[in-house]
Amino acid sequence: MIEIKKLNKYYGDHHVLKDIDLSVDKGEVVVIIGPSGSGKSTLCRTVNRLETIDSGEILIEGEPLPEDGKDLAAIRSKIGMVFQSFNLFAHKTILENVTLAPVEVLHKSHAEAKEEAMRLLKRVGVDSQADKYPIQLSGGQQQRVAIARSLAMNPKVMLFDEPTSALDPEMINEVLDVMTELADDGMTMMIVTHEMNFAKQVSDRVVFMDDGRILEINTPEKFFSEPGTDRARDFLESIKN
Amino acid sequence: MSVYELLSEYGSRYVLALLTTWELTFFAAIISFVIGIVVTVMRVSPIKPLRAVSELYVQIFRNIPGASLLILLVYALPYLDVVLSYFACVLIAASLIPSAFCSEYLMAGINTIDPGQIEAARSLGMTFSQIIRKVVIPQALRFSVLPLTNLLVAIMLTTALASQVPLNPTDLTGIVSHINTHAVGGITAFMISAFLYCMTALVIGFAGNLIDRKVRLMR
Ligand SMILES: Nc1ncnc2c1ncn2[C@@H]1O[C@H](COP(=O)(O)OP(=O)(O)OP(=O)(O)O)[C@@H](O)[C@H]1O
Ligand SMILES: [Mg+2]
Repeated sequence: MIEIKKLNKYYGDHHVLKDIDLSVDKGEVVVIIGPSGSGKSTLCRTVNRLETIDSGEILIEGEPLPEDGKDLAAIRSKIGMVFQSFNLFAHKTILENVTLAPVEVLHKSHAEAKEEAMRLLKRVGVDSQADKYPIQLSGGQQQRVAIARSLAMNPKVMLFDEPTSALDPEMINEVLDVMTELADDGMTMMIVTHEMNFAKQVSDRVVFMDDGRILEINTPEKFFSEPGTDRARDFLESIKN
Repeated sequence: MSVYELLSEYGSRYVLALLTTWELTFFAAIISFVIGIVVTVMRVSPIKPLRAVSELYVQIFRNIPGASLLILLVYALPYLDVVLSYFACVLIAASLIPSAFCSEYLMAGINTIDPGQIEAARSLGMTFSQIIRKVVIPQALRFSVLPLTNLLVAIMLTTALASQVPLNPTDLTGIVSHINTHAVGGITAFMISAFLYCMTALVIGFAGNLIDRKVRLMR
């Protein structure tokens, strides 16, 4: 589904992604963890080309990512992305947030888009808020709307960049529950998170990154009980407290 | 002359002058808002030459005095075999300068939009033009209602440039000169025009506030 080969990325002189090799199979849930600044967000964002890369290759279903223009937009519409800060459209209602892209990009009729949107809003449990504006919702509700907005494009993969890091503790679970359901439904997912219990539960593989490199790719059982590197062990220790 | 005498003699001319000022203001507003939006889209476009040209445009028209621009239009254009009516010259001068300010206000509005929303739109597969039309411009306009309202008043005052050219019927400023060359209207003739400008500005301001309250986004 996603194949990343020998990917390198620089910000100026700063080498942020170093020889990254990673593939995510259809229906697989890959969780990326690692200390702050290790390049997790950057890696996630290169997959739908919100960040350009300097060398290497990214294949989506065997096809290289287009450079830009309409082809890139078309690929992006198939890759859902959920951000730490929700990023809902402030001037649109919850319902309009979910219908905008299906109408504009997929050329669905308003009626069809609306029906699908209501179904998705119900699925993430915010259908009763459909006519409100983002500012009127709690963080947890907004993030669930953001997930519904991505799902409305019927994506083949979903990328999550710390979807619960901006949330108050009591709202984290409502978002993780929605993501767990998605995983159970067979969605292909690439998730950056600091929620270790969630990672243990939901992931098929755990990727540990440090200083722009992937140090370890392992099953969650192995990774959390006997991590293969000292860096990973130190990291797991450090977040326990 | 008293207000009463002035109005009984020149009342209908004042009405025509007011209508001329409104007409100039109306068309100048539409033209400058349209140009302002186009220039703003160019300024945020990914195409470098477009950005450069639009920045230059704004710098020029933000800084050129209205009277100079009008003189150029009236006296210089004919050398290029472009002869415009006086009305058109005033309209263009009163449109181009505010269009630069319009773009500045829209840019300020755009800068208040969280870049994360743009990234979200890109990640949903929306193209540059879809993002501009559906996400950026609607929000920029909402944030710019009050500045644009003030701009509309400024446009009306800029149309007083019409008094510098022979127009018939003339505008609210032109009529003061007209009266004072044919009779002794004095300061009173001017006060009547000023009153009409003020009332129009009040109405514009009131409407702007209403619209702002209706479309303003809570943060
Ligand atoms: N736009 C940018 N310009 C320059 N440097 C950047 C930019 N974005 C990120 N970086 C740098 O790249 C490195 C990787 O950043 P990234 O955000 O991918 O890390 P992260 O693993 O997601 O960290 P966190 O857990 O804090 O989110 C960091 O050193 C960061 O300072
Ligand atoms: Mg990050």
